[in-house]
Amino acid sequence: MAKPPLSDIRVCDFTWVWAGPYCTLQLAHLGAEVIRIETKTRPCVTRMLPPWPDGVFDSINKSGYFNQYNQGKKSLSLNFKHPEAREAAWRLIKQSDVVINNFAAGVIDKMGFGYEAVKKVNPNVVMITLSGYGDTGPESHYVSYGPAQVPLSGLSALTGYRGFPPMHAGFSYADPNAGVHGAFAVISALFHRAKTGEGQYIDMSQWECAIDLLAEGLLEYTMNGREPERNGNRDPQMAPHGNFKCLDLPEKILDQIVDQWVSIVCADDAEWARLARAMGKPELASDSRFATLAARKLNEDALEAIVTQWTATRKVADVVTALQAAGVAAGACADAKYLSEDPQLNERGYFVYREHPLVGKRQHCGIPWRMSGTPCEIKTAAPVLGQHTDEVMTGLLDYSAAEVEAMRTKGALD
Amino acid sequence: MAGALSSLKIVEVGEMVSAPYCSKLLADMGAEVVKIERPGAGDRARTRGPFPGDVAHPEKSGLFLYLNTNKRGVTLDVTQPEGFEILEKLVADADILIHNVTPPEMDRVGLSYERMRRANPKLIMTSIVPFGLTGPYRNYRAEDLTTWCAGGVCVLNGAPQFPQLPPLKTAGQQAGYQGGAHGATATIAAAFAQLRGGTGQHVEVSLQESVASMLEMTFEYWPYMKMLSTRWGQKPLAPVAPMQCKDGYIFLCCIEEHQWRNFVEIMGNPEWAEEEIFKDRLVRAVNWDALKVLLEPWVAQQTVQDLYKKAQARRVPFAPVSTMGDLINSEHLKARGFFAEIAQPVAGTHTYPGAPLKYARTPWAIRRPAPTLGQHNAEVFKTQLGLSPARLDELKRKGVI
Repeated sequence: MAKPPLSDIRVCDFTWVWAGPYCTLQLAHLGAEVIRIETKTRPCVTRMLPPWPDGVFDSINKSGYFNQYNQGKKSLSLNFKHPEAREAAWRLIKQSDVVINNFAAGVIDKMGFGYEAVKKVNPNVVMITLSGYGDTGPESHYVSYGPAQVPLSGLSALTGYRGFPPMHAGFSYADPNAGVHGAFAVISALFHRAKTGEGQYIDMSQWECAIDLLAEGLLEYTMNGREPERNGNRDPQMAPHGNFKCLDLPEKILDQIVDQWVSIVCADDAEWARLARAMGKPELASDSRFATLAARKLNEDALEAIVTQWTATRKVADVVTALQAAGVAAGACADAKYLSEDPQLNERGYFVYREHPLVGKRQHCGIPWRMSGTPCEIKTAAPVLGQHTDEVMTGLLDYSAAEVEAMRTKGALD
Repeated sequence: MAGALSSLKIVEVGEMVSAPYCSKLLADMGAEVVKIERPGAGDRARTRGPFPGDVAHPEKSGLFLYLNTNKRGVTLDVTQPEGFEILEKLVADADILIHNVTPPEMDRVGLSYERMRRANPKLIMTSIVPFGLTGPYRNYRAEDLTTWCAGGVCVLNGAPQFPQLPPLKTAGQQAGYQGGAHGATATIAAAFAQLRGGTGQHVEVSLQESVASMLEMTFEYWPYMKMLSTRWGQKPLAPVAPMQCKDGYIFLCCIEEHQWRNFVEIMGNPEWAEEEIFKDRLVRAVNWDALKVLLEPWVAQQTVQDLYKKAQARRVPFAPVSTMGDLINSEHLKARGFFAEIAQPVAGTHTYPGAPLKYARTPWAIRRPAPTLGQHNAEVFKTQLGLSPARLDELKRKGVI
């Protein structure tokens, strides 16, 4: 069986929180050996964030958040207050193909591991910094957290119900967006290196990378000089185009509200006619209020009310099955429980269950692509902090067991 | 300087966002891309705005022009056997075929990896499809909203105080962008594997899976705690929320305790900040409703830029809720040269988002604007494939090109 694409590629991973770990997760998915440099003196923020098994925070090694984004990686624990720990990091950098960090601009330089220094010991390395604001510019030293990147990028200004203030995307969307683009950049640079022998440095601004996702909104402004209007789930060229209320679950989960919604979209008049038939009201297809896109857009409130009347007495899965059979785009507004049980994702083997020493086998999201020639697989659960310290120190970095022990006693491996 | 991927030849059969964005990422780094569009109307993105002056025109769609930079464009009806033959000829001479033809349509036109590799045994073919090429939803119809919702994001967003409002989509065609970005990552990895002695292969990307893979901690709440994240706004930490200033919105972001303390100082140490119900980030989240009404009047007195700068000066990661105008006028983005001016013969010159990343040695570059419909038919069919003028006329008559 062929090896995954990035086999024999080693990544020295200084990343933390989310954008960076999502980047190195992609590289791990593709078979790279990703070695996280961590420290017990200042563990990654996500190790302290929920969810924890049964909601109890009693260990930095149990966070579902951390465990999702660090699958398949190794953890090397180093405390840089000790020069010996820094030396170990240098040995790893020397033997790595890729060095990654997502600190704010300049931080990695202050730590002593900036590109100029790295290049001296490993001239052909590919190095990337995924900072919030990029390496240059008057705000480059600003602090950037994922949730704030969504509004900063402009996405929030475009997102929201008509007549309402801007809304967040609901998650730190700019982070994984930066991570996946960063992974693309790293592999592109590795491709270039394989052809020419040249490594290089890549400066990523998470902010800029997110603006690339809202070209339609930005061009509305640059082409027509006006801010786009927020328009909920509606679309200028399709109607209906929205999420519709279905029958709620009979039981509530814990004390949470679990309401059920289905997305329904008709891209053209023919699809609208099919939806009307599926709802048992074929006459609506030729109703002058709805027969054309222009008419449906004018009467969209009434249109949505009619669709809701039909969905409100039905379960999500029944609506989706009926509409897909009729040739209409429809899908669940999936929450985590729905996703977890989704027949499509489960039949495709999307979810990953790997044994973790402290949380056992948990369901985690997997790899969103399949490759016929170089299959990719998540082989291990996320590491507990320092899990691979001995393995990496003695197996890769040429320390003797006695040297490792001495460093440990000193606290250099904390 | 040449782009990192200037040796790669790509054929794209793409519509709207996912496959076009995938090949745009590769094209902007130097790959040569030939984009195939349906004769007549072309890519559906051409019908979508924004349009200069709001006048719809197939050569002036902002969405299309953005997504198809650095590509050459031909028209070809691959659903006709003669069109498919020409696709096979193009693919014979390419490294990669990127498409987002849906599985039922793939079956109908006979587009399979087995068939394409007969034309080119070394081909990498990337299929970016809504739910994947297998499984019970394989043939499901989907628009961007469908996969964004089915991937689990919509339920996270909305107005907690208005339960009758539906789960809210993020603006734009975000499932498409993520399918494109994840697809580009897998595709370039396949090309890298081939460069190191591997073979051609089929890369399959599911939009639903691409979206689900980004769900932050929100998915894991279920397997770890049997809890659901919803648009009801239950947040583990606070403040993490937009709030209105005098002249716009700012996003308050105090995830770490020291950030909160600095923010309290910026507010002039109000007495209420010492209350037990605001004592740490978890408790502040539980009591967010109470905290919010105390913060709102103070924030309403500030201007966005002033509060942003004050907060950042104390390492508190607040950020403006940027409008499009804010972005275009940002001194920071200007100083970095982020935006790209792109001239296209029909649509004119406009300002577009620029490079997502700055490569030191192999820069991102716009070498040509998006193609007009069929702009490179002669160049590709005549010069590259050697079709005779008589044959081209015949194909044109039949509506193949």
